[in-house]
Amino acid sequence: MDCVNRVAKLYRSVIEDVIEGVRDLFAEEGVEEQVLKDLKQLWETKVLQSKATEDFFRNSVHSPLFTLQLPHSLHQTLQSSAASLVIPAGRTLPSFAAAELGTSNFSASFAFPGYPIHVPVGVTQQTASAHLYKVSVPFMVTQTSERASVLQHPVQQVFQLLGQPSIIQTSIPQLNPCSLQATTEKSLRMETLLQQPIVLPSETADRKHLENPTSDILVAPGNERKVISEAVLNQLVSSQYFSFPGVVFTPQASPADPTVEPVRRVSARMTQRLHGPLSTGPQGAPRQHVPEAQPRVLKNRMCGCGSVKQPGNTEEPSSLPVSEKDSSSRMDLSIQVADDDINEIIQIGGTGDTSSNDEIGNTRDVDENGLLGIIDAGDLKVPEEETGSVSNEDSSVNSSDNEDPEIDLVEEDPLNSGDDVSEQDVPDLFDMDNVIVCQYDKIHRSKDKWKFYLKDGVMCFGGRDYVFAKAVGDAEW
Amino acid sequence: MAYQLYRNTTLGNSLQESLDELIQSQQITPQLALQVLLQFDKAINTALAQRVRNRVNFRGSLNTYRFCDNVWTFVLNDVEFREVTELIKVDKVKIVACDGKNTGSSTTE
Repeated sequence: MDCVNRVAKLYRSVIEDVIEGVRDLFAEEGVEEQVLKDLKQLWETKVLQSKATEDFFRNSVHSPLFTLQLPHSLHQTLQSSAASLVIPAGRTLPSFAAAELGTSNFSASFAFPGYPIHVPVGVTQQTASAHLYKVSVPFMVTQTSERASVLQHPVQQVFQLLGQPSIIQTSIPQLNPCSLQATTEKSLRMETLLQQPIVLPSETADRKHLENPTSDILVAPGNERKVISEAVLNQLVSSQYFSFPGVVFTPQASPADPTVEPVRRVSARMTQRLHGPLSTGPQGAPRQHVPEAQPRVLKNRMCGCGSVKQPGNTEEPSSLPVSEKDSSSRMDLSIQVADDDINEIIQIGGTGDTSSNDEIGNTRDVDENGLLGIIDAGDLKVPEEETGSVSNEDSSVNSSDNEDPEIDLVEEDPLNSGDDVSEQDVPDLFDMDNVIVCQYDKIHRSKDKWKFYLKDGVMCFGGRDYVFAKAVGDAEW
Repeated sequence: MAYQLYRNTTLGNSLQESLDELIQSQQITPQLALQVLLQFDKAINTALAQRVRNRVNFRGSLNTYRFCDNVWTFVLNDVEFREVTELIKVDKVKIVACDGKNTGSSTTE
């Protein structure tokens, strides 16, 4: 922490020096003093948001009360581990600058009263007034940063339920369009923990919903949390699919059909568990909800986030069986593709896709912005098969003109991985990596042993900043 | 003229972004923004030279090295940075170092 304080003080002094140094310049240019103040304010705000110095303004400015503790980068793998999101009790959340998805490491932590919530990596958080918290939970590990907006709406509604049972009743249907994707066990815990806010505030209201056949939100009393969590965990560990009340989490990289089935099983188990204490554990009643819930759940998956779909939409169920029968979750993701922009991409490979794409495409009625991020990985896959093969074709033509391009397409498709940028170039190109900017006194090499004598450096490791006056290092090449 | 090396730091990037916003809103001219950045270069160089006194040791494996225009660029793997108070481990780090003996030339990162 001393290092952080040191950095914070240094940054603050630099800002002050710069502002004072340019004050005359601003005056000479005829720029108002207010502009200079704005510059300082902007600068300080950005430094604060960057989390380079966590306590940058702790002493001088009212810092956000909440930080989202998230695990490693969202971009790395689909096996993203969940983050723990805890929102503090009884506090009105001030405006909080959400961590961007683009950053590799998150270090924000929310504390919510009594409602531990696990959120997967890549969660962007926005705070609403009073007890309403909007959290977008992009479980999907895709290439874009728009994922945050995708899942923003459903999760908003989830958190809006907190502390207000009446809201739960009315907003439950809105949770259906949610289409969240999670792939890890921790994300499963996230799901169970997310249930808790819904569970705790309104037990009576939950029962009403449980009795309501049209409701997709199955809320159990608080004492069922553990049971539910265990059931869900056990189920989801094997299936990677699980249904949050009104929210469906579907992992991206599981193309197998069985992944579709677990959705039903999970929902069934959840409904069973949820109905257990209230209806003496009957199996029939919960299962009645399952078929009703599943179509909506799957429907919601198809519809994606960002667009509110009524459970009673009659057009969608027709497409549900098709989506269920999809052989790959990738296809499901493509279903959720937005219309215009995605179609432009899909058109390249869209015709080459299976028929289920066409059938499901008719039912697409999603917000473009909502699921744009989700479908990226899926979409990228499809066009690559077309365009990537074309590039390979060009290279192959140079080598052997007599070869059939079609054959090359077939042969080269699995080999497109060779077109990827080599790992050696990544460190130089990846700007967000750990970087040290400094000056060197001396660089010494003896065979493959290198010695570094550096000075006046600024280090940035995972967003955190450090400084040094001298740095001595050894490395073997 | 101080190194423009430190513009690609958290502090420098945030300043540039702020200046860009003011330019967008036409509150300042690009010329003035450039002057601010030059002032920043001086300030950060001075601050690092005078207000920072700590020492860091590190050890790792060198992945790549490059020396061009008197600028060293290294990529190290599995590096441990040791300070008196703390230890930092990173799997990959990029080091960009300008010549510390000659600060007359200004280079950008």
